[in-house]
Amino acid sequence: MLAFQKNRSLQTNRCLARLLLCLWSFSALADNDAHVLIAGIEGSLVNTSTPLTSWLEGGLGKLRDDENTDDLNPYTSLTRYNSFLSYSGRLTPTLNVKATLFYNADLSNGLDLSEAFLEFRPVPRTAWRARFKLGAFYPHISMENIDVAWTSPYTLSSSTINTWFAEEVRTIGLESRFGRNFGTSGQHGFNFEGAIFWLNDPAGALLAAKGWSVHDRQTGITSELPLRFGTTFEPFEELDGNAGFYVGGEYRYGKRLMLRYHHYNNHGDPIQDATWGDTWHTFFDAAGLQFALPWDIGFIGQWIHGRTRLQDVDAGFDTWSGLLTRPFGKHRVSVRYDDFYLDQALASGGVRHLDTGSSWTVAWLFHPSENVRLAVEWLEIESTRPQFVSAGFPATVAETQIIVSIRFLLSNQLN
Amino acid sequence: MMTMRRLTAAGFTTISAIAAVTGVIAAEIGQPARLNVGVTDRDGQPVGDVVIYATKNGVDDVQRTLPITAVMDQIDTNFVPHILIAQAGALIEFPNSDTISHHVYSFSEARPLELPLYKGTTHPALLFDVPGLVILGCNIHDDMLGYIIVVDTPYFSKSNVDGQAELVGLAPGDYSIYVWTPRLRENSLPPALHVVLIDAEERQISVQFTEKLLPPHASYSGGLSRPVY
Repeated sequence: MLAFQKNRSLQTNRCLARLLLCLWSFSALADNDAHVLIAGIEGSLVNTSTPLTSWLEGGLGKLRDDENTDDLNPYTSLTRYNSFLSYSGRLTPTLNVKATLFYNADLSNGLDLSEAFLEFRPVPRTAWRARFKLGAFYPHISMENIDVAWTSPYTLSSSTINTWFAEEVRTIGLESRFGRNFGTSGQHGFNFEGAIFWLNDPAGALLAAKGWSVHDRQTGITSELPLRFGTTFEPFEELDGNAGFYVGGEYRYGKRLMLRYHHYNNHGDPIQDATWGDTWHTFFDAAGLQFALPWDIGFIGQWIHGRTRLQDVDAGFDTWSGLLTRPFGKHRVSVRYDDFYLDQALASGGVRHLDTGSSWTVAWLFHPSENVRLAVEWLEIESTRPQFVSAGFPATVAETQIIVSIRFLLSNQLN
Repeated sequence: MMTMRRLTAAGFTTISAIAAVTGVIAAEIGQPARLNVGVTDRDGQPVGDVVIYATKNGVDDVQRTLPITAVMDQIDTNFVPHILIAQAGALIEFPNSDTISHHVYSFSEARPLELPLYKGTTHPALLFDVPGLVILGCNIHDDMLGYIIVVDTPYFSKSNVDGQAELVGLAPGDYSIYVWTPRLRENSLPPALHVVLIDAEERQISVQFTEKLLPPHASYSGGLSRPVY
């Protein structure tokens, strides 16, 4: 473990050095609006209280870390580094290329792209507007993860929905949006959206295996993840040749209200002798509401409901979250509640509950300057799983985590 | 696309203007007149951000004081002001005061325009010489919305939060007074109001919308963060 710790620290330092080198190279492009490069370097002290081993180490824990992660001194908190490099380049005024490179120190394949895509936004000639994305990107469902590198401006850890997307859901294909504003005052905006994608056949495997999680880790598109019984799998693979799709829409009333609905189906076709890392048939409905409340309070609520299937595994899932947030000058306080559910349909017609629980996340974020963010986050996630009992734990386990972090953004566009 | 031509021709049903001479300042012949306009909704509550402009009837040559300049800024992903009035012939600047880029466009007949992705004052001012309504958008931020009203008169104003607007420096004569707000449904715009002003007159008129107005511009985001992603 000591060697592992040292090796990980060395890897982190090398990664940071590479990021800084890249940034220095791009500093020649300073004041050039066509290329925006942002390096994010975040150091966190993480104190986790859980009897479970993290899912990243093949355990039943829902968090990214566990108490055993730092065996050197069980009385001190874990120090973790997150780094990313986000590039946005303008090929023409309406054609952009965007890519985000993440470094995750907690698995061997740590350096990987989380997204890379072309975005085409032609200037409208009529009231209708069209937007296109081609490449690998997150589906246009999350309302919380809207900051640089698909992070959240409200909390450190993502909601259950966004954590699942970050783990094993990505659109690798083409997304189109067509929309316009209606009404004399032009404040009613509609978008109709659709996407076709491939290379995400195992989506659902990890959810069925380990249930819901709350953390900030994003899987790279060529990375592997631990699955179950010591096996690993690659979430972003094309195995059955079928294209998946999602369709939906968005309604917006000025900046005060936004509603979204999508139906997602990876159209997977599990093979006869499939293993857990093979193609799953995963489909769900997703709805979201974002609303500007009085007193500078914002609300974001999101919900998804669906199923994932692999031969005799037929899991139903459901989760929703509600977030309240309020800025106080350079400070922001956010509180989020997540509720989640996972079951297995039984041949007898009933269901077996696999993962039922909820979590609370409270975050305070402070931006003393444009490129520095200090944050403290407390979260508690409590779940009830039959697997806990099988492994010798109580049926219901609560895990808590406190993260204190500082993040620096280095960019050729920030002062 | 709504234009000012349609605006002046549409639905003459809803204005109840009460013209009342509140005071006469007739110090000397030839002094310009002043028109104070109070704007209220159908419940009698003051309405702000309503465009008021006056055109002098029977005059072919409109007075233009060149150069006419105006500014439509972009602050916190809003067009500021939300509604800008400018006289035809105006040069309008579009600075971007945000730290992120905007891509301003309009497909309005009166003045199609495109200012590709920029920050600061990259683009020179644009000439607006055709009267009409120009609706602005941003190709990056679809919820940005702004209006430029180009009028062929130097006499224009916008009501404040108390519903009060002032038109000053009007030469004595016969005027048509127009009002406009995006909060009115199409085809429910009130008719022009005729006012004859004499030398150095200060007159107060009231305009009351008899139809229910649409809600004001929903630029309030309630502390929600702006997507940069």
